[in-house]
Order: sequence, then structure tokens, then C-alpha cells
Amino acid sequence: MKRENPFMVGLALVVGLLFLSPVLYSIWISFETAQAYYTGSPEFTLDNYVRAVSEYNFARYLMNSIIVSGLVTLLGITIATMAAFAFARFQFRGGDLLFGATVATLMIPSHISLIPNYLTLAKAGLLDTYAGLILPAVSNGFAAFFLRQYIRGIPKALDEAAYMDGATPMQVLWRVIVPIARPAIFSMGLYIFITEWNNYIWPLIAVGKDDLFTLQIGLARLYRINPGEGLVDWPLVMAASTITILPVLAGFLLVERHLVRGITMGAIK
Amino acid sequence: MFRALTPYLLVAPLIIFIEVFTYVPILSSLNLSVRHWDFLSPTMPFVGLENYETLLSSRDFWNSLKVTTIFAVLSVPLRLALALAVASYLVRETLPSRLLRAAFFLPSVTSAVSIAVVFSWVFSTDYGMVNAALATLGFGKVPWLQDPSLALWVLIFVNTWKQLGYDVVIYIAGLQAVPQELYDAAAVDGGRKLHVFRRVTVPLVMPTTYFLLVISVIEAFQVFTIVNIMTKGGPAGATDMLVNLLYRVGFTLFDIGQGSALAVLLFVFLIVLSLIKSRVIGRKVHYEA
Repeated sequence: MKRENPFMVGLALVVGLLFLSPVLYSIWISFETAQAYYTGSPEFTLDNYVRAVSEYNFARYLMNSIIVSGLVTLLGITIATMAAFAFARFQFRGGDLLFGATVATLMIPSHISLIPNYLTLAKAGLLDTYAGLILPAVSNGFAAFFLRQYIRGIPKALDEAAYMDGATPMQVLWRVIVPIARPAIFSMGLYIFITEWNNYIWPLIAVGKDDLFTLQIGLARLYRINPGEGLVDWPLVMAASTITILPVLAGFLLVERHLVRGITMGAIK
Repeated sequence: MFRALTPYLLVAPLIIFIEVFTYVPILSSLNLSVRHWDFLSPTMPFVGLENYETLLSSRDFWNSLKVTTIFAVLSVPLRLALALAVASYLVRETLPSRLLRAAFFLPSVTSAVSIAVVFSWVFSTDYGMVNAALATLGFGKVPWLQDPSLALWVLIFVNTWKQLGYDVVIYIAGLQAVPQELYDAAAVDGGRKLHVFRRVTVPLVMPTTYFLLVISVIEAFQVFTIVNIMTKGGPAGATDMLVNLLYRVGFTLFDIGQGSALAVLLFVFLIVLSLIKSRVIGRKVHYEA
């Protein structure tokens, strides 16, 4: 490997930090006392985080976000993998049509389903429930398409050998396909999780009960209930904002390469 | 016998979810768009195209269409030009370029709500980062989000900041697919850097540009979160983009008929754009320049 020019590395760091400075500064503010923030004196505290959790419901919102994004990811990746396996390996009547319908969902803008899905869930009595937050987000045509392409690249001889040994299709999927496709499944799972974590408009519509708010809704409310310009308790709001971005931020730093690969592949779909 | 059913059982869960939450809603939207309804009344009478007529003769609709079009026309070329410039600097696999790519990419996976809140602070009149910076240069306070002529620009800036890294990553993938020999040949011919960029790079990444062009226009027509948090469509409708109008008509005025009519119009427009996209992507590159 070539030696890196330390000057260029330093320059890149400076430019990168400058680009991210609004977010970095907001994290800084979240550790300041309100007084320090308004007077400029250096005084640091964890008080804003304590208040976000005790005076406001942010521990609950965090839990809700984890539950909702976690279940959407788990269910979404499971049904996408199953369908991808069928589309990649089975010839069946209507298969092309169903695959076409799956891929076509990539073109369908989500706003068209807002009102009808609200009505469907109202009729089913699922507004203001976890199920109401989760169900409309579970199907992911992109993940199904992406995994189907990936599975097609796995040599069919591996399946056939397993069938010879008397394996059922479910066993082939679970024992042969899933282990080999693990990187792709992981990338897609991450993509679904982050998309759902950041989802705003659907939870905004589907829940009105404070105990069911996700972080996005909780943060938006907290920012809005502050009376007006100048009176906003910025250190408190920034603590809530930091709680909202930190899990994705941390995950991103751990698995940046996977994520970028998944998303780049998505573009060449 | 059971064997033949296997693929159907495997695709059933996905297909059922897609059916219930994606395809049926398109039909319901069409149906609701020709009815009068407010979520509560027991009947929903058929009113023909009345909702469309009301919508097309309302000031709000045309204002939203105008605002959204301006947003798209200004923000998309800005994003693409910046992204291509940045990408051509970061195309090599060195440590500094990987660091910078990660920094640029980070906002595109960060919560839009958080970004909107943070930038509401950055652009706030009395305590914001931007006005503080301007103050040290001797300028007065600028009411960024309260001035109708500035607010849309702020949203364009925030949206560009958030999405730039995604475009950069896609452009890098496109640039890396360009054969190095073409650059070498251009260099041998004594091409100057800017010249090579214009005559070799830009034409060769045209397919990527088309792809990004269409998806970012589609995205621009669906911007909602930053509007909802930062301006709520104001001041005086200056940032009242289409999905924000849809949200207001459907979920605060509870005019289901008109909300659905708006959803259908926007849907048709975006589908046409998507079809253009899939044609473009399906096509091969034309290496002409």
C-alpha cells in the first residue's frame, strides 16, 4: 500500500469536519447549560439528556424507534429473502408477473398511499398501535429485487447437491442460500433499518399518543412546543436531536463500507 | 403436488403486503378523488371531477406547483454540478478521499428531522451560527426563515447539504467505470485538466447524470420533512411544497376528496418521470463527444 501524504489526510479531515460542523456543533451545544449557551461561558452538563428522559419521554421514544425499526427490518428482510429465493430459483406460472409487480413498486411514490393506508388501519383499529407503524413499511420491493439478483449469482449446483441429499426447499434456503447471501442480506437489512429509523411522515400520521411516538416525532414535537424564535431551549432540543441521530451515526461508522456498497448497487439497479 | 405450491408460498407474504399497502391504495386514491368525504360523515357521495376542478382553480395548488418547480429547477442542477466536481476529486482510493467521502455521505443517512432542527438553529435569526458568523464580518441579522424571498433558498441549501454525498458516491461509481486509457490518451494529446474534464469526463458519465437527474427531480417533488419542521410552508406560502399541501389538505383540513385528487395528480407526474428513468437506465451509453 502506498504511503499517504499526511498533509492531504489533515486537509481532508479539516474539510470533512467543516462540512459536518452544524451537526458537530449541535452535539456540543447539547452538553452546555442553557445559561452557558446564552452567555457564552464554558459550562458543561449532562442535564439536558437527563431532562429529555425525565421531563420528556425520550427513553420511551428511543425504545419505540428500536422496536419499530427492528421489527420492520426483521419482517421485511425475511419476506424479501423468501420471495427473492422463489424469484431466483423457481419457474412458476405468474412468477414473472409477480416479480414485475414487485420491481414496479420501486417507481411508486409513497405519498399516494398515505390517505388510503390511514383509512385501512383506521378500519382495522390499528391506528395508535405498533402494528399500525410497522405493517405499511414491511414490504420492500427493492430488497426483494436486490436479493434476487444476488441469489441468481450463487451456483445452482449447490442447491442441487442439497436436494439430492433430500433437503426441502426451506432447508435449501436456510442452509445453503442464506449463509452465502449473508453480506447482501446484511446490507439490505441495514438499508431498511436506517430508512425506517428516519421515517417521519407515516408515524406523524399514524400515531397521536405520546407513548407511541418514535424519536423523529418526539423530536419534532419537542422543537415545536417551544414557544418561538429566541425562546427555544436549544441545549435541550440538541440533546434530543443527538439521541435521534446517534444510533445511526454509530452504526454508520462501524459499517460504512457495507452501507455505501448497498446503496451504490441500488443505483445501478 | 406440494412442490408446485412452494414458490407461491414463498412469495405470498411479500405479495400480500405489496398488494394491501401499495397497489390497492392507488385504486382507493382514484376512487376517493371523485368523492366528497371528511373522514367522519357516514356517506361519501360521488362528485365526478369536482375535486380536480376545485384543486386546479385554487391558488394554493398553483402556488405549490410553482414553489416545487422552482425548488427542483434550482436544487437539482446545483446538486449534480457540485457532486460531479467533488466526485472527480475523490475518485481515487486514498485515505483522504475515503475520509471525505464518508463525511459527505453521512448526512444522507441521518434523520431529516434532526437535520431540519439543527439547520433551524443554524439559520435562526438571533442565535444562529450563520448570523453569528455574519456578525463577526460586520453584517446585521438576516431573518433567513422569516423572509419569503430567502426561506426557499435555505431549504434548497439544506436539501443539497443532505443529499450531496449520495450523489457523490453514485458519481464515483460512474467515474470508476470510465476506462483509464481514455484519460491517458487525452493526457498524451496534451489535454488540459479542465478540457479533459469537459470533453472526456462529462460525456462519459452522462448515464449516471441522467439517473441522478431523474431521481433527484422525483425526490424534489416529494420533499416534506424539512418543510414541515423548518417553515411549515411559510412564510406566506413561500415554501409550501406539494407534499406539504397534500398533508395539510388531507390530514389537517380532512378534505379526503381533494387530498386524494392532489395525490393522484402528483402520482401520475412522478410515474411519467420514473418511466423516463427506467428507459434511460435500460439504454446503453452513447460514447460521443
